[in-house]
Amino acid sequence: MVNAIDQTRRMLSLVTYLRERPGARVGDVARAFGVTEAELIGDLNVLPMCGTSFRGGDLLDIDTDGEHIWWHNPGTADQVTEPLRLAADEATALLVAARAVATLPGLREGDRQALLRACAKLEAAAGEAAGASARLSVTFESEGSVFADVDRAIAERRRLWIRYYSPARDELTEREVDPIRLFAVGHTYFEAWCRLSEDRRMFRLDRVAEIKLLDAPSDPPPIEPRDLSAGLIQTSGDDPEVVVEVGPGGRWVAEYYPHDSAEELPGGGLRVTLRTPDPGSLRRLALRLGADGRITEPRELADSARQAAVSALAAYGEV
Amino acid sequence: MAIAKAERLMNLALCLMNTRRPLSKRELRDSIEAYREISSADAFNRMFERDKDDLRELGLVIEIVDALDGDTGYVARRDRNRLPEIELDAEEAAALTLAARVWQQARLAGAASGALQKLRAAGVPFEEAGYADAESGHSVIEPRIPAHEPAFEPLMLAARDRRPVSFDYRKANAARPEAREVEPWALECWRGHWYLAGFDRVRGAGRVFRLSRITGRVRTRAGRYTAEVPDHVDVRQTVESWAGEGARGTARIRLRHGAGYPLRARALSAVAVDGGWDELEIPYGHGLDAWLVEFGPDALVLEPADLRADVIDRLRAVAHSG
Repeated sequence: MVNAIDQTRRMLSLVTYLRERPGARVGDVARAFGVTEAELIGDLNVLPMCGTSFRGGDLLDIDTDGEHIWWHNPGTADQVTEPLRLAADEATALLVAARAVATLPGLREGDRQALLRACAKLEAAAGEAAGASARLSVTFESEGSVFADVDRAIAERRRLWIRYYSPARDELTEREVDPIRLFAVGHTYFEAWCRLSEDRRMFRLDRVAEIKLLDAPSDPPPIEPRDLSAGLIQTSGDDPEVVVEVGPGGRWVAEYYPHDSAEELPGGGLRVTLRTPDPGSLRRLALRLGADGRITEPRELADSARQAAVSALAAYGEV
Repeated sequence: MAIAKAERLMNLALCLMNTRRPLSKRELRDSIEAYREISSADAFNRMFERDKDDLRELGLVIEIVDALDGDTGYVARRDRNRLPEIELDAEEAAALTLAARVWQQARLAGAASGALQKLRAAGVPFEEAGYADAESGHSVIEPRIPAHEPAFEPLMLAARDRRPVSFDYRKANAARPEAREVEPWALECWRGHWYLAGFDRVRGAGRVFRLSRITGRVRTRAGRYTAEVPDHVDVRQTVESWAGEGARGTARIRLRHGAGYPLRARALSAVAVDGGWDELEIPYGHGLDAWLVEFGPDALVLEPADLRADVIDRLRAVAHSG
């Protein structure tokens, strides 16, 4: 469905933009406004129905042959063609995002300065509309030195050597990786072709214990970029199922682990069903939950957590 | 067929911006075809009010004045709606292009591209080239701000407009949600999760809420704030103390060689001892017991005694489960 608010917003700017550019190409304008050509044509079909007075016939005379866009009567509509002030949400969206990115540890200094300068100019231009932007803030977590090395490796297309911590197995492994992209979603991660596992892997920057830029060129096989909006962890229906039953104190499991279902239990608990390619990696979760929950399936996982607890207790002289 | 909403809004905006004198509702209704098609006065009034609100959301300043003949008049004055001069160099424009891609929340993503469109119309030279291109000379970072929590949008609007809200909230350890009435101050996203800071009317004090623990709908309430909004709201400090970031002391623990890298990464000291173990001093704050238990038989607490007792309790619970 067409979002009428976004379309109105875009058409108001289009009117100003097109007036300055007689004969603009449909493809160029669509790219500039971040819409498809079909969406732009949709806007261009609506604009000739708009004007200051329907009955007076003072309508926008904007016309297209599908390739170029023409405005026939720019003189009649002087006032509508001034650039409009920013709305509170518009100023907020840009300012909050720009400030957040500017605080990313490891960002190139030139980029940080450009973001801060742009923020200052935007605040000045937005005036009171910028006020509400102070009510939202975002912090990205990143490891500055690791960030800078990954950033450089991608820009220079070089291979990386890393010592990386895997929480699932509580171990550090050394590997050579060809970095593909660097992104921040709360934490900062990079995706790379891992030459150890011969597969694409996601690495969280704060789990990189050591990193070195190699002279060897990076040579990842062509792979389809992941859609980050779908979440970082993409499990498959073929992965084994794990069932965790938690009391009220363990409800956080449903907040932190992507799951297939979370069923309410009497007393405020939850039965969370999730999938993972490596159920052994959830032994830590079972231990962490303590009295707040337990893994009910698979049995072997529950048993291994119990075994781990029993041998840990032995070290304390407890049986 | 009914005239599309975008066309109606566009016409209302153009009429309000291009008039030299305030227009009455009747004049607007006569001028805009979509309004003329509506036969009922009530339906027109409701639609007109909604449309006016929508245009204000887009940034239009619409003034309401009492016209001479007793009718209310509406006008969007040119000097109040013009974007002031803004000159951005190519680097600054590129920085804003990056910022505009950051939101994964529909409303703010739409607002961000709308802002770029207005700036573009005002002559800001945005390049088509991608910021994340390796050759661009910029950091290759792709930042994304998630906001999947359904409570995000209503709370963002409430904080923006300073409106009190009520919602059901389930505290971390609570069996049942409780009704809260809050005056929202600010929202903050940390480690990918959103938090709300505000004045909790029932408790009579400032509180921090995690949005994912809000159950059901957020309702806006009539009336003003009763408590003063602080100049500076530190959501993160509160959340960090929940997450056990604030250390109150140090603990002495043993780790098996090679195990527990994250604990080692924050250790104040580490020495090898007999039998394949290392002895470490680590900061001790809220939540350390649960974390240490994750390492099972590879971690052993020496002191303090209360931490040791907490860890043993937790291990017992797991050993005796099932």
